[in-house]
Amino acid sequence: MKKMAASSNSNIPVFEYKDINTKAFHVGSFRTAWLEKLKPDDYSYEDKDEETQDAEIANEIGVTRETLEELKSICSIDSLRCHSEDEPPDTKLVPPDATLQTLIQRKRKQEYKGTLRIDKISRIDHYQNELESLAIGKKPADPDDLVPEGELILSINILYPALFDSFKSVRPHMTLQMLGSHKLVDLRDAICCISDLQVFGEFSNTPDIAPDFISKDHFKSAFFYFEGVFYNDMRYPECRDLSETTVEWAKTRDFPQFQKAKMEDTYFYDLKVKVGYPYLFCHQGDCEHVVIITDIRLAHKDDCLDWKLYPLLTHKHRVLTRKCAVCHVYIGRWLTTNDPFAPVDPCLFCGRCFQMLHYDTNGNKLGQFLAYPYVDPGAFN
Amino acid sequence: MEYCKDHIKADCEQLLSRFQQMESVRFEMFLAIWKEMKFESIFFGKMESKLSRLFSREVLATAYAYLLPPYTFQIRVGAIYLLYGLYQCQLCTPREKIRVALKDWEVIMKFQQEAVNAHHFDVAYILRKLISQKAFYFTAMPTSLVFNVKRTNISRTLCEEFLERASRPQEVVSMDMLEELANIHQHYEQVKASSSESTSSQPDPSISLIHKDLVPRLHSTVLDFYKWQRNQGSGNQEEGQYEDGGEGTSNKHESSQRAKLLASIKSKSYAQVVEAPKARRHRQVERDESGPAQETSHHKRVKSLKQRTSHLTQDLVKEEATRMWCLSQLEAEDTTKEKKKQTFKW
Repeated sequence: MKKMAASSNSNIPVFEYKDINTKAFHVGSFRTAWLEKLKPDDYSYEDKDEETQDAEIANEIGVTRETLEELKSICSIDSLRCHSEDEPPDTKLVPPDATLQTLIQRKRKQEYKGTLRIDKISRIDHYQNELESLAIGKKPADPDDLVPEGELILSINILYPALFDSFKSVRPHMTLQMLGSHKLVDLRDAICCISDLQVFGEFSNTPDIAPDFISKDHFKSAFFYFEGVFYNDMRYPECRDLSETTVEWAKTRDFPQFQKAKMEDTYFYDLKVKVGYPYLFCHQGDCEHVVIITDIRLAHKDDCLDWKLYPLLTHKHRVLTRKCAVCHVYIGRWLTTNDPFAPVDPCLFCGRCFQMLHYDTNGNKLGQFLAYPYVDPGAFN
Repeated sequence: MEYCKDHIKADCEQLLSRFQQMESVRFEMFLAIWKEMKFESIFFGKMESKLSRLFSREVLATAYAYLLPPYTFQIRVGAIYLLYGLYQCQLCTPREKIRVALKDWEVIMKFQQEAVNAHHFDVAYILRKLISQKAFYFTAMPTSLVFNVKRTNISRTLCEEFLERASRPQEVVSMDMLEELANIHQHYEQVKASSSESTSSQPDPSISLIHKDLVPRLHSTVLDFYKWQRNQGSGNQEEGQYEDGGEGTSNKHESSQRAKLLASIKSKSYAQVVEAPKARRHRQVERDESGPAQETSHHKRVKSLKQRTSHLTQDLVKEEATRMWCLSQLEAEDTTKEKKKQTFKW
């Protein structure tokens, strides 16, 4: 009994290093711990009418109806207003006589911003803002698709594979929201990485069939690494255990024993993780992404409640795209070398310009050159 | 949102300290200060939707910290009022929620119980109201974590005036307890005397294990502690004067000394001429020779501020060193390695 109590306590997340990451805890037990502590009303999606709400509150704190009415009038939301009712303030303006330090700072910042010539939100920022708020408060059309009450929502940051020294401060990443009842394979399928779309080989003779050979279909193995366990994707017969080499290598060194599990059998509820701690996702043999679980919480009625919309993309870092050398409009899709038509070697072309420049109307190759399909890092923008 | 963190904190602390001076936990009192400071306007000003969302998040997170111990009951009441006000007044829709960590929930429920027991119904009502309005996210941690390891450790200081003073010694050593202790002690002395009477008139020195004046001593120690505590409190409030004694203050003293030292080094380094980029070095201005002759030649690297002051901070660093499995070890090795940079020899 005592042992059980101790184990349930260890599933209350606490900081391992302050403000950096928590100690490892079991996600499923964390959820049950919350549900035990709360009343079903506290996390339900339903809005009760004021009458019942008041009655419950009165009951909870043990006061009579009259006292509650009095409390209500004292603590009403209107009493928080700092201005008279008939002249609502302009919320777009920092009040001129502001005394709060935050406001003084904001005013200075805005005055500076006013002196800048560019004063509009960039297109990319605009998309980004939109992405985050797109799914907020969305209700499913079909009530069967409703996310069950008390479900966990995990926010997971997947960093881009290459972190160049000069971009280290940015940490480009995508953020996905997952439900606790998702399997790890759902997360794996939701991660978009351009290395999945690469096509290997030289296709100058047969440019039309190139898109049929993307890496995603060729190399299906992948693994997640969480807290000493490798979760391998073994859904297809051609999948290989990518973690094997690491595990074997670690055995000969002074490392703790690593375990293996299957990605398709593991729910998020089964995981034991640290929040805020960097883990690993590896696919295509050596394309490695750092994965950070930034937040785990119970679903709220203002969240996206359509089960079908998960995994939900809430943030995506955007990359500059490289354009075609001829038209400078479309994104490059072909890379050529040893090309007599190209100004530089190697050179990028969009699909149309590539066709028009290198092939005659019947699709016959003109001249000698090597052409490789090119996938731009900004392909997912 | 990093840039306005300190300012938000300062504003919240100002509100709470004014609330503390009121020496009341009534919501009306809080409202008076809230209105006088026009705290609602903290959300005003043109901000893009995302920014205002982030700002709300930050403000709520800042206020949430005051809801938990070690702050005094009154500050925590102020914090719940503040959260209520901020939650209702924020400008984004749907409203940003207050994030509650699992480990803190028990504490908050206990706080509610305390409030009800003391008949502070406005406190309990507002807390309950927030819960029934679904103003909380029930989360693992009060902020979302992205493994944001800082190069320098910024230790966030707790506002000392708000802290709950330790009252355990006073609680344990009450008058009743002292009386009882005196009785036991008396009894003990009697027994000792009676047992040693047979051998000699004087009690055996080998069995005098306890001070004879145990009870008065204990009493005076607790009193001293109480006085010291109060002195410390008032001393801190008066000016930046730090009395010696007490770990907290001496630490502060040290750190302020260190800050002064760093500042002096900094000002010295600013006095030196800035090294021009390579391409313009031939036209670099000569440094005014009237200052202290600390001229450094161009191709000799000036030690960084960190290196120059490392002997001062080493002790601190040692304390704070955290070993994070193999990752941090590598990091540590990196920093100790001298950077070998090839420089062009003129």
